[in-house]
Amino acid sequence: MIKLCLFFKQEMELSLIGLQNAGKTSLVNVVATGGYSEDMIPTVGFNMRKVTKGNVTIKLWDLGGQPRFRSMWERYCRAVSAIVYVVDAADPDNLSISKSELHDLLSKPSLSGIPLLVLGNKIDKPGALSKPALTEEMGLKSITDREVCCFMISCKNSTNIDQVIDWLVKHSKSKS
Amino acid sequence: MAQPLVKKDDDRDDEADYSPFLGIEKGAVLQEARVFNDPQLDPRRCSQVITKLLYLLNQGESFTKVEATEVFFAVTKLFQSRDIGLRRMVYMMIKELSPSADEVIIVTSSLMKDMTSKTDMYRANAIRVLCRITDGTLLTQIERYLKQAIVDKNPVVASAALVSGIHLLQTNPEIVKRWSNEVQEAVQSRAALVQFHALALLHQIRQNDRLAVNKLVTSLTRGSVRSPLAQCLLIRYTSQVIRESANNTQTGDRPFYDFLEGCLRHKAEMVIFEAARAITELNGVTSRELTPAITVLQLFLSSSKPVLRFAAVRTLNKVAMTHPMAVTNCNIDMESLISDQNRSIATLAITTLLKTGNESSVDRLMKQITNFMSDIADEFKIVVVEAIRSLCLKFPLKHRSLMNFLSNILREEGGFEYKKAIVDSIVILIRDIPEAKESGLLHLCEFIEDCEFTYLSTQILHFLGIEGPKTSDPSKYIRYIYNRVHLENATVRAGAVSTLAKFGAMVDSLKPRIFVLLRRCVFDNDDEVRDRATLYLNTLGGDGAVVETGEDVKDFLFGSLDIPLVNLENSLKNYEASEEPFDINSVPREVKTQPLAEKKAPGKKPTGLGAPPPGPPSTVDAYEKLLSSIPEFANFGKLFKSSAPVELTEAETEYAVNVVKHIFDGHVVFQYNCTNTIPEQLLENVIVVVDASEAEEFAEVASKPLRSLPYDSPGQTFVAFEKPEGVPAVGKFSNMLRFIVKEVDPSTGEAEDDGVEDEYQLEDLEVVAADYMLKVGVSNFRNAWESMGADFERVDEYGLGPRDSLAEAVNAVINLLGMQPCEGTEVVPNNSRSHTCLLSGVYIGNVKVLVRLQFGLDGPKDVAMKLAVRSEDEVVSDAIHEIVASG
Repeated sequence: MIKLCLFFKQEMELSLIGLQNAGKTSLVNVVATGGYSEDMIPTVGFNMRKVTKGNVTIKLWDLGGQPRFRSMWERYCRAVSAIVYVVDAADPDNLSISKSELHDLLSKPSLSGIPLLVLGNKIDKPGALSKPALTEEMGLKSITDREVCCFMISCKNSTNIDQVIDWLVKHSKSKS
Repeated sequence: MAQPLVKKDDDRDDEADYSPFLGIEKGAVLQEARVFNDPQLDPRRCSQVITKLLYLLNQGESFTKVEATEVFFAVTKLFQSRDIGLRRMVYMMIKELSPSADEVIIVTSSLMKDMTSKTDMYRANAIRVLCRITDGTLLTQIERYLKQAIVDKNPVVASAALVSGIHLLQTNPEIVKRWSNEVQEAVQSRAALVQFHALALLHQIRQNDRLAVNKLVTSLTRGSVRSPLAQCLLIRYTSQVIRESANNTQTGDRPFYDFLEGCLRHKAEMVIFEAARAITELNGVTSRELTPAITVLQLFLSSSKPVLRFAAVRTLNKVAMTHPMAVTNCNIDMESLISDQNRSIATLAITTLLKTGNESSVDRLMKQITNFMSDIADEFKIVVVEAIRSLCLKFPLKHRSLMNFLSNILREEGGFEYKKAIVDSIVILIRDIPEAKESGLLHLCEFIEDCEFTYLSTQILHFLGIEGPKTSDPSKYIRYIYNRVHLENATVRAGAVSTLAKFGAMVDSLKPRIFVLLRRCVFDNDDEVRDRATLYLNTLGGDGAVVETGEDVKDFLFGSLDIPLVNLENSLKNYEASEEPFDINSVPREVKTQPLAEKKAPGKKPTGLGAPPPGPPSTVDAYEKLLSSIPEFANFGKLFKSSAPVELTEAETEYAVNVVKHIFDGHVVFQYNCTNTIPEQLLENVIVVVDASEAEEFAEVASKPLRSLPYDSPGQTFVAFEKPEGVPAVGKFSNMLRFIVKEVDPSTGEAEDDGVEDEYQLEDLEVVAADYMLKVGVSNFRNAWESMGADFERVDEYGLGPRDSLAEAVNAVINLLGMQPCEGTEVVPNNSRSHTCLLSGVYIGNVKVLVRLQFGLDGPKDVAMKLAVRSEDEVVSDAIHEIVASG
């Protein structure tokens, strides 16, 4: 039995990045437990979480988004199965910073070819961008050296979370 | 793991087992550290790699910035593992690597999670690491958790928080101080370690508040401390409180003494020892207080545990320095320790016995020591040698056996420091015990026959030259000395030549033979040796005729060089070979001034260093030489005392003048050190006109003007007064500097021919009673005090008013009296509220004086003092009080 389990068991490693207050830690909580809390504290450093979905165990590196941690993102993105980049879709002021941080990161040679999943969060809020607008604002079209995918989600209302999980699970299979 | 064992079996003669990490390399280990990045972690393997990294760090291997950063981030990835052992290694690694602040912050969130986890081991260690890497802002965020942790049920967690508090107190005291209530609760913990750490932290929080420490000690000494370690701490804090509280020695009651004594019956040995040691270190401990402590230490001496024996004998060794009588009861126990396996214990036992032993036990002791000397290291041997030296000075009658012992060990193998200690001891014994002289000198002679240390050989030769000629049969030393000329290196040969010359100068009967020997030395192949031989042959009149050696020749041979070597070297460098021979008198006598050179070579540029500020510091010796070289003062007799220079002008005035008071039995000489600070002036015929109308007992007898005082070249003028012989006459003198001033053209340095008479008012000068006091120490104040007797004791109390500190007040009184502090009592411990200072001195007329000063703080700043004086003359005792009363 045990052998059988091991055989079916898949593992994947993800790093979760994005500017502060984009909803990274909330996403981890929603994916892991389905719970959501308005009252969150900024992540100082990183949180390491393991989540099991079906027969896939996902290791999540949830990194702090404050400027002082951004230079360290790259170290936790090396050799992951996918980079998940969370954007606050209802905060147009910070979109340009978010875009340049993303492109800076992707230019690192150590991360070439790693699939990218961009998540536009907080679509429950009024004034949130649409998917085409976000794709445009973040310059996702210009990324051609890897697989890029974009979903619009709401952690608060659990909108499109299943879609995200499906995408992730699929990528774990493709990797192994 | 099995590999070292196999190796060990193969290698039969390999006795020590060695580290499994022996010979590992940084580069290889850093390669291995890549396993931290594996998707499938092997916790066991990772732990081993971390152990290797920690080993390298602890061996002093340094990682480059890049390497350290790389390893650090790799290690942080190990937080994904739930393996408890590995997590512990991760904590260690983060602490040891101590990465830069901007990087280490990345683990904060993980540590905070661990700190609040359910696993106690995580919580305790996470607290320690987090507090290590935290800064003020983060600390306020986690403060709540830390306060909880301090009172946590789990002792490991509580201790971790308390210890972290001790560290954080250095950087964030205001935050840690807010935890007082929790810490106080932790002091009552049933867990020994928690109590210990809590007490340490609580004390540190309060350490600057004496009242609070006092309260802490008072409440805890009533007995709620369970942990022996905490009890030891409490004893230390208690001794601190005792030191700082004003003890009333009159009634013999010392606060908290009962507590200390009670601790002597504690069940833990460490507490017993701590209490015993605290008692022995009490200020002015009485023998009644000492007895119970000595008794428990005596029991420890026969303990089966080496550490207890060592602790006890070391403490007794210290006690023996101040209270030898109190330790004598333990002598029998200590004698059995001489053969102790542990050489440190044996050495301490021996030296203690040497301090406490009485005359009758010396021989027996020496026999035991002889057997034991060959087993111990040089540094211990030196300790023994020094102990024997002081023993010999204590029991001069025993010099024969002690000297024998020293000469025996001198012949054995040993390093330079050890041999030097022995030689020094023999020299001191020869000097202080006349009967030991001849045998001691012969021992030294035998030693230089086979001595590998040039320094010691030359020292001994020099000493032989001074002492040898005064013995009953000087001729027997000649052979030893002349052997050096044949057998040794050039330095020693030159020393031997000088020694031979001294014998020749002092012992007329030996002179012809010395000449023969010196003439042979003229053919030495070393320049210095030849030069010396030639020089001495000439000065001694080596033309074969045996003549009486002149005084000046003896002076030349035996007198010390009274010129600072630096000055001589400078002068020689400046000397250019010419017709004119080098004149040693042109070399400055003092570092800054040039009194005699000035007289002989006026107008010459000073050879001293740079621009000299006035105020030549000097020794009595140098002053005595200076004064006796002036004919007017030569018949004043022996110089009793010279004061420190007293400034008579403000700083930065045209002419800087200070004065040194030289006290003779029947005269007083004022030495005015003058400096002309105006480049455009040359002063001539400089004299100080002294008005002694307010000093009735003084009468001016002589004055010595300064012929010329050029710019920036200090000079002296003297005025001498007669006063009643042996009487400490006091008085006030007003001074006027009178001189002829000549304009100088600064560009050419030429002075005009005509000068103008001018005067310059100086400040007044006083001769006070303290000027008649000489600093002379006594080795054992208590003995001296008691043997002086209370016949002429005078006791009185004084209020010294507000002072900066107790130490400042003590110094002020010491300076006022001009006496020698004894037994280190001039040092006031920090935070003391009271202090006893012991002084001794000799008053003019050679009257010995002893003073006991008791200081106490009276209110916040006011210092009160009790002054007890004993002397051989009641007039002198009164005079001392007068000095203080008028000071």
